Amino acid sequence: MNIADVQIVSILPQTLLLAAALVVFLADLVWKDRKGIGLLALAGVLATFVATVVMLAGPGVPTFQHMAAADRFALVISLVMSAAAVLAVLVSLDYIVRVDLPAGEYYGLLLLAASGMMFLGAATHLMTLFLSLEILSIALYALAGIRTTDIRAGEAALKYFLLGAFASAFLLYGMALLYGATGTTSLAGIAAAVPSVQTDPMLIAGLALLLIGFAFKVAAVPFHMWTPDVYQGAPSSVTAFMSVGAKAAGFAALVRVLVAVFPTLYAWWVWPVGVLAVLTMTWGNLAALAQGNVKRMLAYSSIAHAGYILVGVAAGEAGVSGVLFYLMAYALMNIGAFAVLIALERAEEDAAGVELERMRGLFHRRPWLAAAMTVFMFSLAGMPPLAGFFGKLYVFSAAVRSGLLVLAIIGVINSVISAYYYLRVVARMALAAPAEEAEPARCPALTIGTGIAAVGTVLLGIYPTWLLNLVQGTLAVLFGG
Amino acid sequence: MSIVLACLSGFALAVASPWLYRLARGATGWLLALFPAGLFLYFSSFLGTCIAGNAVYTAYPWIPTLGIDLAFFIDGLSLLFALIITGIGALVILYAGEYLHGHPHLGRFYAIILTFMASMLGVVMAGNLITMFIFWELTSISSFLLIGFDHQREQSRAAALQALLVTGAGGLAMLAGLLLIGQANGTFALPHLLSQGGAVRQHPLYLPILLLILLGAFTKSAQVPFHFWLPGAMEAPTPVSAYLHSATMVKAGVYLLVRLGPVLGGTEAWHYLVTTAGAVTMVIGAVLALWQTDLKRILAYSTVSTLGTLVLLIGLDTSLSIKAAMVFLLVHALYKGALFLVAGAVDHAAGSRDITQLGGLARAMPITATAAVLAALSMAGFPPMLGFINKELLYEAKLQAPRASELITTLGILANVALVGVAGIVGVKPFFSKRHTTLQHAHEVAPALWIGPLVLAGWGLFNGLWPDVLVNPLITAAVNAVQPEITSVELKLWHGINPVFGLSVITVIAGVGLFLSHDLWFRENWRAWLLQTTSRISPQRLYELGLVGLNKLARAQTRLLQNGYLRYYLLTIVATTIGLVGYTLFMPGLPTVTTESKLDILVHEGVIAGIIILATIMAVTTRSRLAAIAAMGTVGYGVALLYILFSAPDLAMTQFAIETLTVILFVLVIYRLPRFALLSSTPARIRDALVALLAGGMMSLLVLAAVAGPFQSHLAPYFAAHSLDLAKGRNVVNVILVDFRGFDTLGEITVLSVAALGIFALLKLRKEH
Repeated sequence: MNIADVQIVSILPQTLLLAAALVVFLADLVWKDRKGIGLLALAGVLATFVATVVMLAGPGVPTFQHMAAADRFALVISLVMSAAAVLAVLVSLDYIVRVDLPAGEYYGLLLLAASGMMFLGAATHLMTLFLSLEILSIALYALAGIRTTDIRAGEAALKYFLLGAFASAFLLYGMALLYGATGTTSLAGIAAAVPSVQTDPMLIAGLALLLIGFAFKVAAVPFHMWTPDVYQGAPSSVTAFMSVGAKAAGFAALVRVLVAVFPTLYAWWVWPVGVLAVLTMTWGNLAALAQGNVKRMLAYSSIAHAGYILVGVAAGEAGVSGVLFYLMAYALMNIGAFAVLIALERAEEDAAGVELERMRGLFHRRPWLAAAMTVFMFSLAGMPPLAGFFGKLYVFSAAVRSGLLVLAIIGVINSVISAYYYLRVVARMALAAPAEEAEPARCPALTIGTGIAAVGTVLLGIYPTWLLNLVQGTLAVLFGG
Repeated sequence: MSIVLACLSGFALAVASPWLYRLARGATGWLLALFPAGLFLYFSSFLGTCIAGNAVYTAYPWIPTLGIDLAFFIDGLSLLFALIITGIGALVILYAGEYLHGHPHLGRFYAIILTFMASMLGVVMAGNLITMFIFWELTSISSFLLIGFDHQREQSRAAALQALLVTGAGGLAMLAGLLLIGQANGTFALPHLLSQGGAVRQHPLYLPILLLILLGAFTKSAQVPFHFWLPGAMEAPTPVSAYLHSATMVKAGVYLLVRLGPVLGGTEAWHYLVTTAGAVTMVIGAVLALWQTDLKRILAYSTVSTLGTLVLLIGLDTSLSIKAAMVFLLVHALYKGALFLVAGAVDHAAGSRDITQLGGLARAMPITATAAVLAALSMAGFPPMLGFINKELLYEAKLQAPRASELITTLGILANVALVGVAGIVGVKPFFSKRHTTLQHAHEVAPALWIGPLVLAGWGLFNGLWPDVLVNPLITAAVNAVQPEITSVELKLWHGINPVFGLSVITVIAGVGLFLSHDLWFRENWRAWLLQTTSRISPQRLYELGLVGLNKLARAQTRLLQNGYLRYYLLTIVATTIGLVGYTLFMPGLPTVTTESKLDILVHEGVIAGIIILATIMAVTTRSRLAAIAAMGTVGYGVALLYILFSAPDLAMTQFAIETLTVILFVLVIYRLPRFALLSSTPARIRDALVALLAGGMMSLLVLAAVAGPFQSHLAPYFAAHSLDLAKGRNVVNVILVDFRGFDTLGEITVLSVAALGIFALLKLRKEH
């Protein structure tokens, strides 16, 4: 092996994030300015974002030692991830000072998790798949429990870790079975071998175990139990990033494995994925309906959104671009919604998240903040012409094209249920405010983050074509160049 | 391009209107009303094209990958709607400026109502099904914001949410239907769809498509049993009720049915479903209208009845019925818009909308009273109003219904009689019955409040007298848009004495009788009884129960499934895994797992296996933690022995080391753990045992499956062959560790060192505490 042959440029975004994480960890040893360290992290994620954009516009780069691809699919996932990371760092700058979190660990772990997520989106080899999954998971376990003074956060992190380790074991066992059935660990190799061994029970059992492992990572019902506790226990900025990033990464890997490696077994896997989608949508929505705490409501609703995306996965090849579009839309609107919560959150009394009652009167106190929240809520509910609507439209129409009418209809019914609890927030904001209410936080970075998310949500709705063109036909080059 | 601008400029103006309001204050209404008035004139210029049965279609690519264009389509049908929307829109905006004068959020009001107007224009002019849906949902959203405009009141907010949920849900169902239509035809573009309607009717999913589309249309147009949101929506400010909930938005469903008639209609299913829904709604709406006391709710229920009649006519699907529907649409928009605006003016001037309180207002409000009476006459179908022409046409269409014409006509007479009574109650009674004393000092309202009703009601009279001027060309254009053959509609006020005229006369006499005897049967105790009975079985109640039920279900299942216990979470995950993998292993079409019966087990192998099994049983049954750990260690050592027997000494060594280390670690922490507690009941333990056995069984099956097939190792021969020539080493294991996998080893060493550093840091931390 010649070192010069290593195509480091094909994993440039991931490498940049790793480097930024190391810089942050080191800087934290000597520099006690939390804002400054945050700005370092911001520089890192911005550089990653730019690198991703440049690579997307560029002529395309080869794969990294057949372990990780820099194809359009991977780059779009990187785009989603780096956009999410930029927003997450922006909303954190002021927040982590306010709720007193250690800056070095916080940003370092955030960047590590982000790089793991990006690797997962690019992985074309079972080993990369597993390693990146573990990088992101372990960073997230630690982030979930970063509020060491909060006993709930500790419990949530421990549960997340134990269940996550369990799921990883399933995943690993599945990979071993796949290797046993096909004799190779590269996805391209497995894909080539599948048609000749596709009635081998070992292969299908391996696929089933893999499915379970990923279902855990994307928080599909019934592997979702860790989500509400973890999402509520983690600091809001982490929850925002996690709900978007881990989901996007998990779905990226799931799509690559199912659609690109096992297209000939579509008739087998469409069933479990479809059932998971129905359970996930319905359960997530019903649970979100019962919540009086906005943060917890968003946590449950994120499960429901995983369900909508699963509908796109179940649509097979037709659904790939829909899944990617949905992930981008979800990143913008969900982080945006969390950003508003972060503005409202006060260190002591809102440790468990902002209660619905606290949204009262936001329209009168901070009309623009409330308007942004309205955009996010309408978009999450799937109202046209916002980003969330086109995400759903894309995913559901893919399902209809693949003959999964029932899934699309159940998805539509679920959207109606979700409208109820999202609009409840809007209605609450219009009410008169109690007099003693404290002013929501004002911070330029937070405002910029919220603004970017809101404008992005609207623009992606009014003019979705640029992203649609980007995600169109990514599947053709899923192992490409 | 100009069509696009005409449709979309409303959105731009909506964004600008709050600032305009800050500048112009009281004059804003007059200024903003100029905009729809201008659009009205602009759209009128299309009349010539549309009369000839032609259509204008412009499309700009928006989301080409999904086949969605920003497309606009104007034919006679769109034109009729566009003129109603812009014409009444101008009057309503003017009216609202005065009606909401001094309201702190008037600027916002203008913004929302302009958004609504632009969206509504978008619905009726969209040339692409998905674009239409987007505008359709935008009308629902703006309706939500307008109903909840007085958001301080709990009722307003509940009504707003209810309206949005019902119409939004229907809209989403419609979206599913639209997607299927698009799939059946390969396009969402309206002109293409209209020219190749057969594809959907022959589609295997025709019935689901039809049902989904009807769901959208029926919820929006308030057909029974989805009608209840409309009376609830009366919480909105009155100009909103006049505009959205009588003249325009609620007609969107009617528009959709007429528009998609050539695509979906003409089948038995269409005929029965649409006609039945329309007929039922027509009667129920009319009857319920009679029993209300609030002016606006009376009008709302009579609107429900009208919408039912329109849907019924569309379901009849004859050339005559479509013509009647078009005329009725126009007539109703004129008189009902006027009556709503009158109701608002009365509320404004007299401080009440309760008809048991109102009376004798004609003297104080002569202009408003004139408008009210004119509108009521049109509604009741008196000559020479346009309403009279319309009523004749309705009866003619019903008499010529292809099926069950007697029944439909009878129901029509019933509904119309009731509506004549309603017309009297809302248009005549408040102004001419004897004066009540409880009212505040009533006065004539400002011009902005009577211009609207007077113009609308006046149009009803003018068009009745001279239908050739505007109504005939407009209806000709609308009918030609929907019907294949080009006809020319010529409505006349006087048809001579014929059966239809006879029905009209009977209706009017019975209706007037009903109105005059109103006080007799409209007794408080009867009314209360009726309202109580109906509210118990009404769809409104079902909706509320549904919401409560949904909330209860949500709470119950969250408690059940999200109970916080890790052990249940694990149980669920394991059980699901068993299900999924089991489904895999036993799915049909797979070769069953067969192992060549290699049951030639030696005695000592059997003994070791027995020890492992016994130790496992002990580990799960013992009450002592130490014993459990010891048993687990025994299992591990047993497995290691098996490794030795099957000639894998290196694996066995590793296993021994790990087992020893684990037991030591366990012993270290064991004193820090709480005592063993019995946390689960016997049934729970049996269930757990079952799941555990199944999981173990599954894993065993998987192992058997793995060894069943022949396995070719690519690695072992490779390393064996190349360890000498590539790495200059004879011990293959050593060579793998330090050479072939050198980087891995380096990585492992690094990981171990980092872990050691971490533990060191933790220990130090503990000392400091």
